[in-house]
Amino acid sequence: MSMDGPTDKAADSGQPLVSLDGVNKWFGDLHVLQDISLQIARGEVIVVIGPSGSGKSTLCRCINRLESVQEGEIRLDGVLLPEEGKALARLRSDVGMVFQSFNLFAHKTILQNVTLGPIKVRGKSKAEAEKRGRELLERVGISNQADKVPAQLSGGQQQRAAIARALAMDPKVMLFDEPTSALDPEMINEVLDVMVSLARDGMTMVVVTHEMGFARKAADRVVFMDHGKIVEEATPETFFTAPRSDRAKDFLSKILTH
Amino acid sequence: MRVRRFTAALAAIGLVGLVGCSSDAGDDAGTPDATVPVETDAEFDAGTTMADLAEAGTITVGTKFDQPGFGLISPQDVPEGFDVEIAKIIAGALGIAADDIEWIESVSANREPFLQNGEVDMVVATYTINDERKQIVDFAGPYYVAGQDIMVAAGNPLAVEGPESFADIRVCSVTGSTPAGYVQENFPDADLTLFAEYSLCAEALKNDQVDAVTTDNVILTSFVAQDPESFELIGAPFTEEPYGIGVPLGDDEFRSFINDVLEASFEDGSWAAAWDATAGAITDTPAPEPPSVDRY
Amino acid sequence: MQAVLDNFAALWSGFLTTLAMSVSAAVIATIVGTLLAAFRVSPIPPLRAFGALYVQLVRNTPLTAVFFLVIFGLPSVDLTFQSFFVAAVVALSVYTSAFVCEVVRSGVNSVSAGQAEAARAIGLTFGQSLREVVLPQAFRTVVPPLGNIWIALVKNTAIAGGGFAVADLAQLAPDLARDNPAQVLGIFAGIALAYMVITVPSGIAVGIIERRTAILR
Repeated sequence: MSMDGPTDKAADSGQPLVSLDGVNKWFGDLHVLQDISLQIARGEVIVVIGPSGSGKSTLCRCINRLESVQEGEIRLDGVLLPEEGKALARLRSDVGMVFQSFNLFAHKTILQNVTLGPIKVRGKSKAEAEKRGRELLERVGISNQADKVPAQLSGGQQQRAAIARALAMDPKVMLFDEPTSALDPEMINEVLDVMVSLARDGMTMVVVTHEMGFARKAADRVVFMDHGKIVEEATPETFFTAPRSDRAKDFLSKILTH
Repeated sequence: MRVRRFTAALAAIGLVGLVGCSSDAGDDAGTPDATVPVETDAEFDAGTTMADLAEAGTITVGTKFDQPGFGLISPQDVPEGFDVEIAKIIAGALGIAADDIEWIESVSANREPFLQNGEVDMVVATYTINDERKQIVDFAGPYYVAGQDIMVAAGNPLAVEGPESFADIRVCSVTGSTPAGYVQENFPDADLTLFAEYSLCAEALKNDQVDAVTTDNVILTSFVAQDPESFELIGAPFTEEPYGIGVPLGDDEFRSFINDVLEASFEDGSWAAAWDATAGAITDTPAPEPPSVDRY
Repeated sequence: MQAVLDNFAALWSGFLTTLAMSVSAAVIATIVGTLLAAFRVSPIPPLRAFGALYVQLVRNTPLTAVFFLVIFGLPSVDLTFQSFFVAAVVALSVYTSAFVCEVVRSGVNSVSAGQAEAARAIGLTFGQSLREVVLPQAFRTVVPPLGNIWIALVKNTAIAGGGFAVADLAQLAPDLARDNPAQVLGIFAGIALAYMVITVPSGIAVGIIERRTAILR
């Protein structure tokens, strides 16, 4: 990573990598994000939990502006998210995203999925992109699937390929939008293992999930959302053992009792 | 001007019903100055068609209502044109005034049925004499020989004189038509453009996409009538389409009478006056030599 | 059939004209129609509006009127095609691209929104995500309806010849019928056969493309 330019200088000064300030968003009459402010430091792993409809996925999608917000500021590495256009595309390339439904490009092989961004966005040569792509597929444990198309892979393999695709862009931050919710139970752990190892390697991550095990194991901070608001922020230890708010207690009692 | 041209052309291909087609022909052609003389002391042998008509004091004539220069209905609801004048001359010889003629629109397809059913006494309606038709109706005349002619842009910029010019100009006609066949057969190297309708040829001529349009002079006359500022007729037909007056089959006395009247009109100048006041005024062409009637 | 054989040279020339008109208009209409479809799904409202307006205007206009406008309407704004062949290709392309647009757009809509999101999420621009991700998948689903449009286009070229001054197969038919009144049926059968020489292989080719480009989902 180059070390010049205002962006990196800002990072040096300890400015948060991702910052949301007074963010409000409505879907029609529905106020889905209410006055959200959240700072994420470089290298930090944030797990966002909350009941469905609490706005946690929307929050995650706002960070790379797949959803736009009506009020408030979202900055990435000190830079305000631009309007739709080339500048936004460039900025998005620094934000990896993993979707609930994988969204691998159905007409391309796994390797092509992983190399498309580096070639088209980063301008890497095909050979260079493929070399790096194979390394990443090795890292997520599916190097033998490189030449298959997505539909030939299991859900767990597809999601690991999707993580490799995001990593291929050398992102500054990775967003995970319920990455294991669409998986059969026996495949959840293979994906979570990859995510845990990413966290250990110092990747900045925002993870929307119901996997409390992952939160305990890998999160630096848990953000609990309900009805479009951040209700509570705490370390996993504090949150799971001594939640302050009634709503967090209620939520935890529902998901931990069985 | 542009817009009007455009709607007229759209109307021509059937997209707009009633716009743009009201023709200027009536104004240009007008009614002839000289009123047709009415025979006041006509005497006919009893029992003949002539005697019946003279006694009734009226005659029913089938003519076209949509052919500028020959038979076109006027805003006053009476037809005007060369065919109409010819019918007036014949009526006049029977002692029937122009105002006492009953006009019935006859299109190409209903001319024979009208005569066969006695719905009209005669048909003067750009009616080409041919042998098939002679099986079911009889023809007096011809009183006019139409023919394939050439229409060019006003002023005739390329100095087109006749079909011999086809070798050097872009000529337009209609797919599968007899005039197109004439060009294909006699001028195989001609730059021939074929549209579905003559109105499209006329548009193309206006846009300088072709240099000339060729078909029957009568059809071309109607285009000149509608837009005399754009078009000009060469006025030298090079094929022959004799127009006759249709009468019921077997009425030889009536047919012979009409032939006499026609010949007289050729002689006394009333035929030429009729031409000059109608089709001739529109196309700015002098009256041709009268044809000789065919008393078969 | 004798008239067909006697006029083989004219038929061959008409056939080539019909083929050239069909292929040129198919290529142009497919490109323009795809661009229009891109307009219709773009994030820029004026482009979306233009695309929608174009489709509504052109798709609801009879082809004959489009021909008329191109050949006789454009000269009134000083745009004249001296060659009726070029004018016919323009008219056919204008008309057919509206249908291509709608088919491609429906193809784009059949690609799940997640594909476009994933493409944007790795930093592809709108154009790149259309080109690299959405359209390739869309095209595979629209090959059969596109094939229908292409075949309809081949037959629509007959309007150019039958009505608008292009010396193609359709223009030949009435001339041959006039010169050979006893063989009208044979002549029209021969001309129909010549159209099938273009359309039937096109249909087969579309089927092959469809099988080759099928994707697992």
